[in-house]
Amino acid sequence: MAANETTVKVDGVTKSFGEFTAVTELSLNARAGRVFGLIGPNGAGKTTTIRMIVNITAPDSGTILLFGRRIDPSLQDRIGYLPEERGLYKKMRVADQLRFFAEIKNMRGKQVETKIDEWLARVKLSDWKQKRSMELSKGMQQKIQFITAVIHDPDILILDEPFSGLDPVNVELMKEIVLDLKRAGKTIIFSTHQMEVAEKICDDICLLNRSRKVFEGSLREIKSSFGRNSVAVRCEGGDGVLDDPALVSKLVRHVDEDQALLAPGADAQTLLKRLLDAGAVIGKFEMVEPSLNDIFITKVTEPA
Amino acid sequence: MKKFLTVVRREYIQRVRAKMFIVSTVLLPAVMSLFIAVPAIIVSIETPPMRVAVVDQTGRMYSQLRQALFNDQQESETQNTNTGGPRTPPRRSFSRFVLEEVKADNQSLDQIRANLDHRMSARDLDGYVILPPDFLSSGQAEFSTRNPGELFAPRVLQSAINRAAREQRLIDANVDSKTRQELFKPVELQSVKAGAASREANTNASFALVFAIGFIMYLAILMYGQIILGAVIEEKETRIAEILFSSVRPFTLMMGKLVGVSLVALTQLTIWGIAFSVFALYGVGVLASQGMPTTIPNLPFSHYIYFGLFFLLGYFIYGTIYALVGSMVTTAQEGGQLAMPIILILVVSFYLFWPVSRAPDSPFSFWVSMIPFTAPVAMLVRIVTQTPPFWQIALSLAIGFSTVLVIMWAAARIYRVGMLMYGKRASIPEAIRWARQA
Repeated sequence: MAANETTVKVDGVTKSFGEFTAVTELSLNARAGRVFGLIGPNGAGKTTTIRMIVNITAPDSGTILLFGRRIDPSLQDRIGYLPEERGLYKKMRVADQLRFFAEIKNMRGKQVETKIDEWLARVKLSDWKQKRSMELSKGMQQKIQFITAVIHDPDILILDEPFSGLDPVNVELMKEIVLDLKRAGKTIIFSTHQMEVAEKICDDICLLNRSRKVFEGSLREIKSSFGRNSVAVRCEGGDGVLDDPALVSKLVRHVDEDQALLAPGADAQTLLKRLLDAGAVIGKFEMVEPSLNDIFITKVTEPA
Repeated sequence: MKKFLTVVRREYIQRVRAKMFIVSTVLLPAVMSLFIAVPAIIVSIETPPMRVAVVDQTGRMYSQLRQALFNDQQESETQNTNTGGPRTPPRRSFSRFVLEEVKADNQSLDQIRANLDHRMSARDLDGYVILPPDFLSSGQAEFSTRNPGELFAPRVLQSAINRAAREQRLIDANVDSKTRQELFKPVELQSVKAGAASREANTNASFALVFAIGFIMYLAILMYGQIILGAVIEEKETRIAEILFSSVRPFTLMMGKLVGVSLVALTQLTIWGIAFSVFALYGVGVLASQGMPTTIPNLPFSHYIYFGLFFLLGYFIYGTIYALVGSMVTTAQEGGQLAMPIILILVVSFYLFWPVSRAPDSPFSFWVSMIPFTAPVAMLVRIVTQTPPFWQIALSLAIGFSTVLVIMWAAARIYRVGMLMYGKRASIPEAIRWARQA
């Protein structure tokens, strides 16, 4: 797959279940060699969108093209899917289990065994190859589930909340694997409602809210379009200043510093001057980019 | 197709490897053999022959009686060798006799009695028979034994004395030996099926065979229906369904599971069948030695093919019901209750045995042999009574197996929509709506 080539194209897709509309007029493009973040609160329509891409359910209207073709069973084999609702056959041995998931994607022969060994080594579970999955810890099971999605070397990898429930060491390990796959030219669609995770891993973002797309674009573009209107402050005294709504539209207090989102029309210089005038001792005063979380909350709470 | 085989293979191997499968497969024949073998061994314990003295005051009976008893024993032994099966215990081992004639020799009957009683208490003798001088006309004889609780010996002895007396009376009436043999020649009564191709079809044995097939079908459905149900629910409970549905069609998955479990059932039934035939060989020998008819009814080969096909039809029709129920519920317990009323139809279809066998070509029989849920039993009854035209058999099979596919198709749709709908249990109207939904 040539990098940057559009591999997943969703065009004007609507899907409803009875009265309830899960996805409205959604269009998006995911490209090879990039991580595409599908983000949004619970119930925004992320999972329904993904299910339409992997052909579990069909859109009511609109089209979905993978590699420029409408989905069919042979294309399904080029997708790896790790759903949010996932599990393993409890009594099956890890190796048998992985072999089954590879074969169900039409992968045959010796390469299956090679891949099983490679991936188990990669996630540091080689010693567990002959264990039944019910003997594995939850974190281990999650890593095996991840392998089931990638064992057949798919061109498109769709991960729905892949890191939930993993400890930081394993999150780091999995993140490395995802980035390696991206460098290998795979298209990765990454769905999450954890903004900090999306911020660290995604190249492109599509924000969904209440069945509709709020915005789509590269993470860089989105952040710069929001401008540097956020200030990280650590100071003693002058508390009343930060609470002034004419200056600060939103204040988030952390343990070691506060984060102030400037009110429209206010600027950082004024804020600093007011703090000094109020007799505050400044430990830190730094202009920062808005976090994805801030953008998300701003966008979601914005009147449509 | 490859994916279908992958699903079938996983289902089959995982189940056949499971401890439960191995234990239940081995345990049933083991328990069965225990039930069959233990009584057989106990019965076959050799007892010494019964020593009986005969006081023949008629002077003509002793040799006849000896002959009659001797024939009995010979007969049972020749039959054993004829069946060629494993050596069966001699059936009359508990009533073998050693006879001894006691001559009156001028002693009074009381003296003889006292003498014999004495020998009995000395365990020199087990019993004695007194045939009084007027025995041939009065038919009154006397049997004294050390062990009046012995049930079989007096009966065997009585029947032998009876035959001996009959024989002697005929000799006394100057009937020659050839006529005597002809007089006692047994008759044979054979039920013969009317019709062009029929030879000596044994209708009773055919019915027994159909009933046996129906019964095995019923047992197989009871045993494996729950397993099919569990297999269908497995991916819901383990939350694998969504991963699978991104790779294989729900219908392929459902059919794969049904076929996989059915192959497991076939494996187990075959193992049991082989074990059973081993016992049966032994059992046939025992039955044959007691003069029971044990031959397999002589039926056209095509009938055996029909038996196989309708057995499969019955199994799959009801097996798919369990799959359908499995697609609607979230736990196996719920499913078992939901499937039960449908299995009752199978029990009811057994009662069709009688009306259909009385009028195999009535419109009623025709229709019940076309309805998929009653066809397996009804059509088999028709085939062994008045074989219907081929097109009817073919039509019944075609309707039946199409129904299986339709049920599986509906089950697959309900399963998929159910999974998309927050994984809740479907009510019947909902299930119907889901099956119709794209």
